[in-house]
Amino acid sequence: MIRTYRALLVAQLQAASQYRVQVLLWMLFSVIRPVIFLAAWVAVANAQGGQIGTYDVRDFAAYYICLSLVSCLTASWNAYEFEYEVRFGRLSPKLLRPLHPIHYAVVENLVAKLTQIVPLSIVLVFISITFDARFRTTPAHVLLFVPSVMLAAALSFLSGWVLATTAFWTTRVHSVSTFWDRAAFIFAGQIAPLALLPGPLQAISLALPFGYVLGVPAEILRGGVSPSTALLLMAGQAIWLAIFFVAFQRVWRAGVRQYSGVGA
Amino acid sequence: MTEAVVDVRELRKTFRVTEREEGLAATLRSFVKRRRKDVNAVAGITFRIDPGEIVGFLGPNGAGKTTTLKMLSGLLYPSAGDAKVLGYVPWRRENAYLGLMTLLMGNRTQLVWDIPAADSFRVLQEIYRIPEDRFRAAVNELTELLELQELVHKPVRNLSLGERMKVEFAAGLIHSPSVAFLDEPTIGLDISMQVRIRRFVAEYNRRTGATILLTSHYMDDVVALCKRVIVIHRGRLLYDGPLADLAERMAPYKIITATLHDGAAPSTDLDSYGTVVSRDEGRVMLRVDRQVAPERTARLVNDLGDRLADISVEDPPIEEIIDRVFTSEQATVSA
Repeated sequence: MIRTYRALLVAQLQAASQYRVQVLLWMLFSVIRPVIFLAAWVAVANAQGGQIGTYDVRDFAAYYICLSLVSCLTASWNAYEFEYEVRFGRLSPKLLRPLHPIHYAVVENLVAKLTQIVPLSIVLVFISITFDARFRTTPAHVLLFVPSVMLAAALSFLSGWVLATTAFWTTRVHSVSTFWDRAAFIFAGQIAPLALLPGPLQAISLALPFGYVLGVPAEILRGGVSPSTALLLMAGQAIWLAIFFVAFQRVWRAGVRQYSGVGA
Repeated sequence: MTEAVVDVRELRKTFRVTEREEGLAATLRSFVKRRRKDVNAVAGITFRIDPGEIVGFLGPNGAGKTTTLKMLSGLLYPSAGDAKVLGYVPWRRENAYLGLMTLLMGNRTQLVWDIPAADSFRVLQEIYRIPEDRFRAAVNELTELLELQELVHKPVRNLSLGERMKVEFAAGLIHSPSVAFLDEPTIGLDISMQVRIRRFVAEYNRRTGATILLTSHYMDDVVALCKRVIVIHRGRLLYDGPLADLAERMAPYKIITATLHDGAAPSTDLDSYGTVVSRDEGRVMLRVDRQVAPERTARLVNDLGDRLADISVEDPPIEEIIDRVFTSEQATVSA
């Protein structure tokens, strides 16, 4: 399997190298939203004497920088790709090879992240200096962040696949995934750090999977939670990952059976 | 009896499709209630294919050919019936089975567009776990047979349709499958490329002993490659037997072509021998019933005497036979 992954990685990197400009544009696009929210919160915080809850302007900057990084590392766009593959029959050749189609997507996902991470880091350093971000990160946080962001990436990827698999039943996955993205927008920690959400909304956020993909690893990296809280949050990530893993296996099996070759 | 490579029994596939009339009212109605209809794409077909055979799978558009190939390759679950290929139930899609077969669709691509085919071959080598020596041997053989030397190092998107099809063939066969399902492998290709692909398929079959089930709208493909054909129409099997016997079963007439020294005789002269199909430049084509063909030919030779330069008696062109089969709803005939 390692050899298969290496071969897929080489092929994907070659393909990606032909779209360097696109990679850069995607990366810039992914930074725009957090920067807008950062700017908004900085304005609000300044209007309220520089502090909202436990966050001051420099904390907000650190949070949104961490969020941008996590967002890049956990991005998953399977739902969109997969619908296209099912509708235009591009999935068929993959289904006919002795390798689960998910592996191609894993590699594609890794390659996209690999190509974006360096230019993104440069942009984030620049933003960090501009906003004078304050990180409360300790070595323990860094150590916890690594598995946490991996859990988050796996969770994002698998939940994306569960959504994508609905393409076997409907050729309009877009509406499902758009609904999902809207929910993520509210509950994942994009509008505001989870800690600043009003009580009930915060409770809902912690019960739903969205925050475990973005807000949780971002707060761990920023040093916004204690290591013991971080471990508790990571347990939440693991539970959601397990749920989506089981869901994926079931939905996939049923989906392939259903696959009526829409355009295949 | 040898173990069949492909063994299909009463295979059926029914698709449920949504129907609606055109126009605004019908469109609005379809929001509330959809009218669904069951379409029997494959309505219970049975056949078997022995090792090493090349079988032509014929039928007009929508006959159920591709649906059958998709079921046999494991892409589709059947609605009913059984099929075994190499002893496997295809739609279970066990890795062991997937490694032994290929489905090549002439109008579909399975290569990564942005990279050269050689790199896609490497990925396939790992996916199919082909040992290096066998991989090299397969690549060399396919490169030679398909003349790929110049093509494998260019990104696939820079190849012409014909070039791409050759590379697709190589990609589909790189794991040396024992069974190949070829769906319109020469579609859209120019004549010389069609001939090359045909030669390649025949040579591949000869070298590897692979079993091949092939659909094509080009009868030349079928005539060149298949001794046996299976004809289906509206999901049902119409004929399964030697290509040579298809004419006898399906077209109860022969074509007599007579060439005359002194230009064509008036058609009225010839009506008593058979139906005149065409007449030009001293060449007359007559359609006569199969049973009376020898007698009519003898009469023609006798009556025309010295005026006759040449005469031949042949089955009608295969396209014509097939067209006849599809336009007249015939009952199942099996050889």
